[in-house]
Amino acid sequence: MSADTITRVVASPLPVRRARPRVRWGAETVAGVVIVGGLLLVALLAPLIAPSSPTSGDVSRRLFDLGTAGSPLGTDGQGRDILSRLIWGARPALIGGVTPVLIAGVIGATLGMVAGLAPRFGRSAIMRTLDVLYAFPAILLAVAIGAALGPGVTNSVVSLAVVLIAPVARVAEAEVLRVRSADFIDVARASGATRAIIAVRQVLPNIAPALIVYCTSLIGLAIVYSAGMSFLGLGVAPPNPDWGQMLNDLRQFIYDRPLLALVPAAAILLASVGFNLLGDGLKRQLDVRDGEVLL
Amino acid sequence: MPVYVLKRLAQAVPIMIGVAIVVFVTMKLIPGDPVAALLGPNSTPQSRHDLSQRLGLDQPLPIQFLNWFVSALHGDLGTSISLQRPAGSLVLASFLNTLVLLGAALLLALIGGIVLGVLAALHPQSALGRIVRGFTLFTISIPQYTVALLLLLLAVETGILPTGGMTTTGQSGPGTVLLHLILPAVAASITPMGGIARMFASSLSEVLHQDFVTSYRARGLASTAVLRHAIHGSVPALLTITGLQISYLLGGTLFIEVIFAWPGLGQLVYQAVSARDYPLVQAGVLVSALVLVLVNVVVDSAHAGFDPRVRA
Repeated sequence: MSADTITRVVASPLPVRRARPRVRWGAETVAGVVIVGGLLLVALLAPLIAPSSPTSGDVSRRLFDLGTAGSPLGTDGQGRDILSRLIWGARPALIGGVTPVLIAGVIGATLGMVAGLAPRFGRSAIMRTLDVLYAFPAILLAVAIGAALGPGVTNSVVSLAVVLIAPVARVAEAEVLRVRSADFIDVARASGATRAIIAVRQVLPNIAPALIVYCTSLIGLAIVYSAGMSFLGLGVAPPNPDWGQMLNDLRQFIYDRPLLALVPAAAILLASVGFNLLGDGLKRQLDVRDGEVLL
Repeated sequence: MPVYVLKRLAQAVPIMIGVAIVVFVTMKLIPGDPVAALLGPNSTPQSRHDLSQRLGLDQPLPIQFLNWFVSALHGDLGTSISLQRPAGSLVLASFLNTLVLLGAALLLALIGGIVLGVLAALHPQSALGRIVRGFTLFTISIPQYTVALLLLLLAVETGILPTGGMTTTGQSGPGTVLLHLILPAVAASITPMGGIARMFASSLSEVLHQDFVTSYRARGLASTAVLRHAIHGSVPALLTITGLQISYLLGGTLFIEVIFAWPGLGQLVYQAVSARDYPLVQAGVLVSALVLVLVNVVVDSAHAGFDPRVRA
């Protein structure tokens, strides 16, 4: 191999994988894209499409059932329109699901990469420390942190991000271990590339697909957990609407208006299924092997 | 084998200390001065100084941690602010109820998961296999609190089963508790059942394609006997997923217990969170995490007992 070839090999990011025929989008992927896209639209357009105020209600119009004229999804215990609260609630749902995964994704991927590329001692120091976070039931650790920080969206996001770092780092580390003995890494090293260059130009492009797939599915879980935090009173502060908090609120009327509580429950389920479908679809598109569900 | 268990226990010790450190750190995250909060608005600098000295809060953090850790080892997990009782005994009392719920849910999840997994692995192409796969996918996506809500709705509408609590006033005994246990246990079991079914199905179908299965078949072994051998080969995978699901169940009981008013640790933590009763929250989380670490030691030991390769 001439010096020229080696320079080119190091300078250009190596082909991640061979060209392959484009996989057709399956029905599930389309469904995932539609659900997630629809959710984004609803969250963005909330002020325009919500029929009435999400925070103030008419007590004389309290606990109307589904299908009431003017309030197709009924009204809650304070007479607030449930459809409007549901529409506005898409914002904290997306923020509470996506932000912790983004934060945990960056921190976890960095830790996982450092651990995977570090010598033996460094790797076990990082991974054994993360094992401690892993030892907690996920939601309980989030509750412990959230309860100490106090209620609020930011605190709920921080708590969930801390909880999600360990699983992301585990996936990243496993992926690094898979690629780090590959020939192209040896070539890069032999041609004098530094650790940092190898990490960013050779390793990262090769572990990114698996990480993106994992994080997409993790958003579905984070939405469920974040709604759970609000359910417990650790998320969005009332009167601002949030699906988890609506669920806890409306379940108290289950004897009089059993169907009302199902509305926010269905929204949470739909959002979680949407991101899971999107994750599965991306997995096929990006040709990622089956990983284990870590959380 | 005893050597393996001891080794595994020794590995669990640093994790448990780490868990204690994490819980200690979350306590330190609480904004504001705990001494001022305890003494109220009329405290003087002198009284605040005295109290913080008495509580050891003027010491450096590592010393504070050691003091807290040693008293935690003696069973002193602080005093609940809202109930004014030792947090440790409150947590232990409710944890027993959680264990009942957890055990029942795990049993249901294992039975259902294994049956569904065997069906899906044996008939991958049939309609039955597809239904099982669809069901497991659904159970993995659906939040536990949604399952709980749906079952509660069903119970409210039909009125057959009790909708909450562990007993009904005027009735007691194991029969009543069992009746009250059905709904929360089923609600808690659905998601782990899906996870177990999925994992068991994929592991079993892998084993079913191994050479030893073909050779059993070629020798004319009855298909049920072949299946028994194949299931034997999937037990390690089953143990691994069971360990993961116990962790999930411990977290999920938080919501199940609130929805069904089951007087366990989850409900205690929920009430503690609502009342800003930090010592009680931390005690509950600490105990759950420590129990989980021990459960994983048991799971790994069972794994090793089953598969000699793990012991090496």
